Amino acid sequence: MQAPLRFSKSFELAVMIRKTDVHFFIPAFNEEQAISEVIKTVRRCGYTNLYVVDDGSTDRTAEKARQAGAYVIRHFLNRGAGAATQTAIEWARKAGYAYMVLMDADGQHSPQDIEALVQRMAAGSCDIVIGSRFLHDVSAMPRTRRWLNHMANVLTNLFCNYRYTDTQSGFRMLNRRAVENLHLTLDGYGFCSEMLILAEQNGLKTAEVPTETIYTRYSLAKGQDFYTGIRTALNFVWNIIFK
Amino acid sequence: MEIRIFQIVVPLIALFFIFGAIFHYHKSKITIYETALRVAFWLAALLVAFFPDFFSNGIARIFGIRSNVNAIIFFCLGILFFIQFKMYFIIRRQEKDLTDLTRQLALRDHPEDRTP
Repeated sequence: MQAPLRFSKSFELAVMIRKTDVHFFIPAFNEEQAISEVIKTVRRCGYTNLYVVDDGSTDRTAEKARQAGAYVIRHFLNRGAGAATQTAIEWARKAGYAYMVLMDADGQHSPQDIEALVQRMAAGSCDIVIGSRFLHDVSAMPRTRRWLNHMANVLTNLFCNYRYTDTQSGFRMLNRRAVENLHLTLDGYGFCSEMLILAEQNGLKTAEVPTETIYTRYSLAKGQDFYTGIRTALNFVWNIIFK
Repeated sequence: MEIRIFQIVVPLIALFFIFGAIFHYHKSKITIYETALRVAFWLAALLVAFFPDFFSNGIARIFGIRSNVNAIIFFCLGILFFIQFKMYFIIRRQEKDLTDLTRQLALRDHPEDRTP
């Protein structure tokens, strides 16, 4: 069923997005400690369509996700965050979902920010909404991570028309048009940058909204470290040269 | 003609691998194409070991490099880079196939109410 249309004050075509129209996809690899709480947090916000793409976890991630009320799509091998995200996109494409939200499984996203993404999407004229940590206060972000993210932004923005403030954010909302047009090829973390480049190449409109990041010892340990960041950047450039 | 040690060692190694390739072919472990490729490679190594100056001077003349030793080093580096790139693209294609296979399996066999 198509969502009803309404006009905002700026006369842009806007839509009413119902919570049942939004499908959450959480790519996860060995996240048994955090996955239950992430799912419960999203459910508490009134969203019930939750999917966990278990990327070949060797712990009890899938079991915990099911217990918390999510539907589990399982990779039998660990193929990387990008591969799991593309699996989520293909699921959404085949199922014909109107909207999908991608979020990290380590609990670093604040549930209040879900509404910010949904409202920006509902305001219209945008196919992908990115939750930007750098439009929010980032004083709690470790210096090394801030520097790595900054380098990733510079590198990605070289290939983009829009100047993104957070190219590595895993908190994103996609509409049907984006889901239909995005075909990611990078299996690793480089997919974050690749998605933005592909979006621009396919004429998709993007927007950023400020989102808070919850830094815990766990989420800090799970994110990209210095070594992974450098490897991701090299893979990203290598892929562009030898595509 | 002076016989140097590598002119004995390299042909022995080459013969070992040539017989190995023929043995594997008879056991149906490799195809005739793979056997021919392996035998051709080791025969080439054997010939280079027997006539090193002829081949090195020939390569130096073809590429316009004065020293035959430099010519051999550049030539081998070129071959190594080529093999490296070929390996990279083979691995990348296989990685992609593996991801596609993993994804196809992940997307199938779900209950009807959940099938995308």
